[in-house]
Amino acid sequence: MLAYTVRRLFSSVVLLFIGTAVVFGLTSISSNPELLLATCPPTRCGAEFRSEMIQMYQLDKTIPERYVSWLGDAVQGDLGTAVRDGRRPVTEVLGERLPKTLLLAIPAFVLTALIAVALGVYSAVRQYSVGDNALTAFSFIGISMPTFFFGLLLQVFWGVWWQEWTGTRPFYVTGYHNADFMDLVSSLTLPVATLMLVSVAGESRFGRASMLEVINSEYIRTARAKGLPERKVIFHHALRNALIPLVTIWALDFALLLSGSVITETVFAWPGIGSYFLRSITNYDLDPVMAIMVFTAAITIMFNLIADVMYGVLDPRVRYD
Amino acid sequence: MNLWRSRKLAWPALLLAFVLIVAACGGDSDDPGADATTTTAADDITTTTAGDTGTTTEGTDAPGTTLAGGDDYCGDAGEGNLIWAHEQEPPDLHLDDPANNLTTTAWARQALLDGLYGITAATTFFPELLAEEAVMTDNGDGTFTGTFVLRDGMVWSDGDDLTADDVKFTFDAIMATVPDTNPDDDIDPADPDNPDRVDPDPELDFPYLIGDRTGYDTITSVEVTSPTEFTITWSAFFGGWKSLFAEVYPSHVFDADPATAAAELNDAFREWTLASGDAIPTSGPMAFESWDRGVAMHFVRNDNYHGSQSPDVENTGIACVSGVDINYVLDTDAQVNSLRSNQAHVIMTQPQTQFTELATDANFTVNPQAGPVWEHWGFNLLNPHLAKPAVREALAHALDKQQVVETLYTPLFGDLLPTAGLGNAYWMSNQPQYLDHQGEAGYGTGDVDAARALLEGAGYVEGADGVYEHPEDGRLTLRVGTTGGNQLRELQQQLIQAQMLLAGIEIMIDNLPGGEYFSVPFGAPVNEAGETNWEITQFAWVGGPWPGGASFSFRTGSGNNPYQYANADFDAKSEECDQIVDEAEAAVCYNELDLFVTTLGPDGESGLIVLPLTQKPSFFAYSNTALSAGAISPDANSAGPIVNVVDYKLAG
Repeated sequence: MLAYTVRRLFSSVVLLFIGTAVVFGLTSISSNPELLLATCPPTRCGAEFRSEMIQMYQLDKTIPERYVSWLGDAVQGDLGTAVRDGRRPVTEVLGERLPKTLLLAIPAFVLTALIAVALGVYSAVRQYSVGDNALTAFSFIGISMPTFFFGLLLQVFWGVWWQEWTGTRPFYVTGYHNADFMDLVSSLTLPVATLMLVSVAGESRFGRASMLEVINSEYIRTARAKGLPERKVIFHHALRNALIPLVTIWALDFALLLSGSVITETVFAWPGIGSYFLRSITNYDLDPVMAIMVFTAAITIMFNLIADVMYGVLDPRVRYD
Repeated sequence: MNLWRSRKLAWPALLLAFVLIVAACGGDSDDPGADATTTTAADDITTTTAGDTGTTTEGTDAPGTTLAGGDDYCGDAGEGNLIWAHEQEPPDLHLDDPANNLTTTAWARQALLDGLYGITAATTFFPELLAEEAVMTDNGDGTFTGTFVLRDGMVWSDGDDLTADDVKFTFDAIMATVPDTNPDDDIDPADPDNPDRVDPDPELDFPYLIGDRTGYDTITSVEVTSPTEFTITWSAFFGGWKSLFAEVYPSHVFDADPATAAAELNDAFREWTLASGDAIPTSGPMAFESWDRGVAMHFVRNDNYHGSQSPDVENTGIACVSGVDINYVLDTDAQVNSLRSNQAHVIMTQPQTQFTELATDANFTVNPQAGPVWEHWGFNLLNPHLAKPAVREALAHALDKQQVVETLYTPLFGDLLPTAGLGNAYWMSNQPQYLDHQGEAGYGTGDVDAARALLEGAGYVEGADGVYEHPEDGRLTLRVGTTGGNQLRELQQQLIQAQMLLAGIEIMIDNLPGGEYFSVPFGAPVNEAGETNWEITQFAWVGGPWPGGASFSFRTGSGNNPYQYANADFDAKSEECDQIVDEAEAAVCYNELDLFVTTLGPDGESGLIVLPLTQKPSFFAYSNTALSAGAISPDANSAGPIVNVVDYKLAG
């Protein structure tokens, strides 16, 4: 296992290196900071600014040359300058944004996992019951519903309709508010619920399928034949094994949440990495776009590795040679 | 299995109970984070009347107490911050930094710094820091001197006197120079073929970041004669002199050396923070408090404010609201939801279709202004069809501006805009100098017969599908492009496309996203003749109280002239207009200039290169339940929702 982990770590570094090269190339081609000049009148963005931009982004060099230079800086912790964010270091901006993305990601991840497992177990144990069919319908609706639509629907329901009906507004519909704990919970509720919808819908389907496979296996039948209580059969023997395939899903979902949910953060004006990514793209701010893309790649590679290792730890049948 | 059957409802019930308890806990304070609530009689809806960001800081004096202007406008206004939900967060607050997002920064700074002159909703100048109109004197030697008098007793937000020395300091900082450490910086390396590729002064650099020093660069002296009096002398008359010193900077918190001060200003403006950590003192109705990047910017009322002299405001004293929270909400639907849920008090954005919904809702006031931003079609004279005056005039005749206004604008803005549309490229319809030149020429009325007659007179023959063809230049198909994603503008294009088809002119809509449009079809020439890959472009430009700047887009060889228009008479006339001191005479002159570009009158061969369509009203709305009074908020680069912030009153 140790040898495998070391080997995977090494290959992850290589993969990350290739990933950054590809991402840098694509980002350089698709997000040209010179377009910032095109949208700025020459009277404001004159030769001096153009020269500064060319120097800052090394636009007079080839993309491979720029990549080598960027990589040299990046490994030393310099991810460039957020020109359209007060010309501050990108690391400083990400340092402000990442904790806020985590504030959304962690509760969304934990609640999603708990609810999805519960729904998956229920659906599997009560296969083809009314409840199972209802949850199946919910899952497909949840998977199909666009995130922005559900987010706006929650805003209208809790911000407008609920207020009209009751005269109260229990949740913030936009923004990050942290005057006290309840304030924070109020501003977190709707974006977390939006993030959870699709994840719960998807993960509960995985949970159901995994649980069904386990409870139809012979050792579960044996456990029942031995007269074990149903609760012990389900929770002690079946659930623990059914959770193993979910570990991979969780690792990838958490990586996705960590890299910021562009749509949810934008709709709810949440100052995390996702909304900042969109803002940087629209502002042709190359360095933050690149930094977030690389961060996403690194997180995805890392959590894939974690998922693979965890799989081996949790399932004694899996052996890495 | 019995276990599941017997307890199948236990867990869901427990979960439901928990959710209900949490919801109840969250809801019992009416509004999270709200400082105060009030119930209106009309709809019995509890609304936020105070800042709901949790970081509200209130002013030292309650509104409605002693006001600088002796006014009692605020009366029983409620206490709290005005909350403005806006989509664009400025990169920083340095308005002159080219990397900045100009509009949103200018809008924020409107509440912070006053200038010698301000701009009204009718796009005219009014004395802001000045006690009266300045007097401009012709010195007889080609130079001109303006005599200025500041209002008495003005102080900065930190209590220091605001004097003529601050004006001189502002000028000195803008024009400060330092030895040029890297002369190549001033040369455009991306454009080696540009004949203007020379460093204007290889010895010196300007440390203060400002893109354009026009008007400042011809000032030969700023003489302070008393704390409230000063004179400015120009080496030649500059028609836009009132647009200079739109902000005056506080000298007492910066270094006395202009070059050092310029560098300090660059640093301090970014976060509105001095090297000492204090906020830059302000002269406007608000003072800077804090900026939580990505979330909100917070201003607090300036209790030392000298009061607004704008004809647009009713309150001549300090602001009634304790401060302003600018909450950054990128999504326009979410902005509307913020407003409808009373989490924001005002929005000024472009939700467009959602705006109809707000306009018909009694809980909101939609209070747009016909600002100086105007939509138009511009023609590329290098196109063989558009090079013919008959084709351009046919387009002008076929266009039905009234239909455009009544179909797209009247439902949203009522009778705010003249139904005849806009007929002048120099003056806006709400400016007293405005003349509808295109209307007088019979353009913009959807006169299909006149258009067809012109085309046939120019040798065009109607094809089988109703579209005209020219024996040499082919089918009369013209591409119109703009920066995509603007729904109202795209609808406008579609409407005009249908109008043109009636006259046998085929319009192809060819829009691209913002930067792409500027760089691909509109930007770089596609051949050595300088031809660009566009035919008709639709843009919104910004006018102003001094229209002389518009001439840069039409002068021969100007870098800002995309139409390839070249007329020596126009060039001479535009210089002449810019030199006229008398404002009434200058207005007449600019109207004569306009005839060159919006009609075929003075220039029958290459005139009529723009078709003004309409002014662009502001999409501005505020909550009637949260506010008892709103303010006039023009849509212009230098205005915005808090330009007249003194007038807002929270519901009491």
